[in-house]
Amino acid sequence: MIAEILAGLAAVLDWHVLGFLAVGVSLGAVFGSLPGLTATMGVAVLTPLTFWVSAEQGLAMLLGIYCGAIPAGGIPAILINVPGTPASIATSWDGYSLTRKGQAGLALGVNALASAIGQLTSILFLAFLAFPIASFALQFGPAEYFGLALLGISLMAGVSGRYVLKGMLAGTLGLALALVGLDPMTAYPRYTFGMSEFLDGISFVPVMIGLFGLGEVLVQISERHEARKTASAVIGRIVPSTSEARTMIGATFSGATVGTMVGAIPAAGGDIGSVIAWEQARRASKDKESFGKGSLRGLAASCSACNAAIGGAMTTMLTLGIPGDAVSAILIGALLIHGIQPGPLLFANNQSFVFSIVFLLVLASLLIMAVGILGAKPLARILNIPSPWLWTGIVLFGTVGSYALNNAVVDVWAMYAAGIAGFLFRKAQIPLGPLVLGLILGPMMESNLRRALILSRGDWLGLLSRPILLAFLSATVLSLLWPLIRARRAARGPNPEAS
Amino acid sequence: MTRSNSIPGAVFLAIGLGLVATGLAFPEGVGGLPGAGFFPKAIGGVMTVLACGLLVRGREVPGGEHAEISNVSQVAGAAALLFVYLLLWGTGYFIPRTAAFLALMLRFLGQGWPSALGYSAALTAFVYLAFNMGLNVSLE
Repeated sequence: MIAEILAGLAAVLDWHVLGFLAVGVSLGAVFGSLPGLTATMGVAVLTPLTFWVSAEQGLAMLLGIYCGAIPAGGIPAILINVPGTPASIATSWDGYSLTRKGQAGLALGVNALASAIGQLTSILFLAFLAFPIASFALQFGPAEYFGLALLGISLMAGVSGRYVLKGMLAGTLGLALALVGLDPMTAYPRYTFGMSEFLDGISFVPVMIGLFGLGEVLVQISERHEARKTASAVIGRIVPSTSEARTMIGATFSGATVGTMVGAIPAAGGDIGSVIAWEQARRASKDKESFGKGSLRGLAASCSACNAAIGGAMTTMLTLGIPGDAVSAILIGALLIHGIQPGPLLFANNQSFVFSIVFLLVLASLLIMAVGILGAKPLARILNIPSPWLWTGIVLFGTVGSYALNNAVVDVWAMYAAGIAGFLFRKAQIPLGPLVLGLILGPMMESNLRRALILSRGDWLGLLSRPILLAFLSATVLSLLWPLIRARRAARGPNPEAS
Repeated sequence: MTRSNSIPGAVFLAIGLGLVATGLAFPEGVGGLPGAGFFPKAIGGVMTVLACGLLVRGREVPGGEHAEISNVSQVAGAAALLFVYLLLWGTGYFIPRTAAFLALMLRFLGQGWPSALGYSAALTAFVYLAFNMGLNVSLE
């Protein structure tokens, strides 16, 4: 184990890898700081750039973007009350209030520090718990993997907020898109329309670029009602005093714990984690009234939780091969192109690579903390870049990046079609997350169910004698019924606790 | 029936039924094992049921949420400009074609000509250098 740890560290301490990490963190900070440009969009659009370098270098850049964008999303949330990424919605509740009180710098400092603590806590979780989880997952056979994939999709639909039914439909559409190509067991072509380009299935990365890049740009063009807000607040003191740090330390760590746990659930990312952590900190606080009005505890809890979701999501992705959120779904696609299959076998066969990821995440967290504190003022100025410049940049990078993957025009058209679909989906309030998960988990579901049936000689009921599969199926049913039960409860009468 | 439920409901219903219909044409499994048509039929069936649920819900919530697309002309214009750019992919040279597309797009989105031309030239040059020179991707 020590040899693998040292090998992982040595791979990371290469100047090229460190350079890619620094570039990734900087790009992530820019993507996060600009409202409308999200971590998902940044990772999706820039993934094609990583295919010409080693897996460590490419992953360094993508993880840098991921770890950089989430904390940077708090900057516009604090300065102009517009969350830079969905994960920083709760950050604006107390952050913007602090800005209005003339304490914008302090809010930015708390954001940087609590974010780093959240990320580092969740990386500890990844480092210590991923190996036991992966070794447990090594017991899984095809039947269990089918159950796990089914659970992943149902959980994603379950956290689709008010749109559970639409979330389920999006998930089934993702599964349907995953059918394109050769049948995994018999190599019979399905939905290829006679085109050889579709034999390997739909190109995942161009579809992601379209859904999260072009689609989002079209949404922003559509919603351009008024001039974008620009940052004019005086930044002032950034680093919190000792007494301020003491005030928020408990909320920071409880937020990190909540964020990690929530992030580990497929699809429940930092946006949900930060809201839960903020509410938990409010309930635990003696000074509940201050929450939403500039509470340092509330700000620290939400910043810490939304960043801790990164480690949780990475743990699920690396150990089980199930994406914890949209970004980790794209990371799976990027890893697969480098010939690396996330899942328990990665921990058995390539431990040094797993440790490289852990070290990359630690370095990215420290780097973004430094950027958040030292670069708060320049990052605030980025908010003044005209939106059309950003939109055209995203569209061009997305188009050229999609083409560059295979030098194939069909990928560019796939990106375009996915972009239009992504725009229409958002307008129809259809969540995109389940679609992505369906696309990733579809082949895993189908091939594992059919392998399991071959092993059980076609005995469907025999599969139910497997306890782990039964547990996954029960959890699937529960996760699908839970939103309905909750809706029914809410319909019966007002619940003061929920309100 | 609310538009944000009825239109997606109808589209998903059509896709679901299409999956079931096409799945029937794929080979059946043998010996109790599912064949290539099993998953399309299963997914199509689930999608059909869920789509019916969405359509019914649309009827149950009168005056509920409406899907609304504002600035339709801007969105359609931007999508059409990109469509034309993609149609022209592979014709002529990358740099002038891309710079012209970006300048037109920026102008269409409300930027003045000087900034549109300057920014589109700079962005095109950067992308060309990054992909063509840096990553050896042939863009011509």
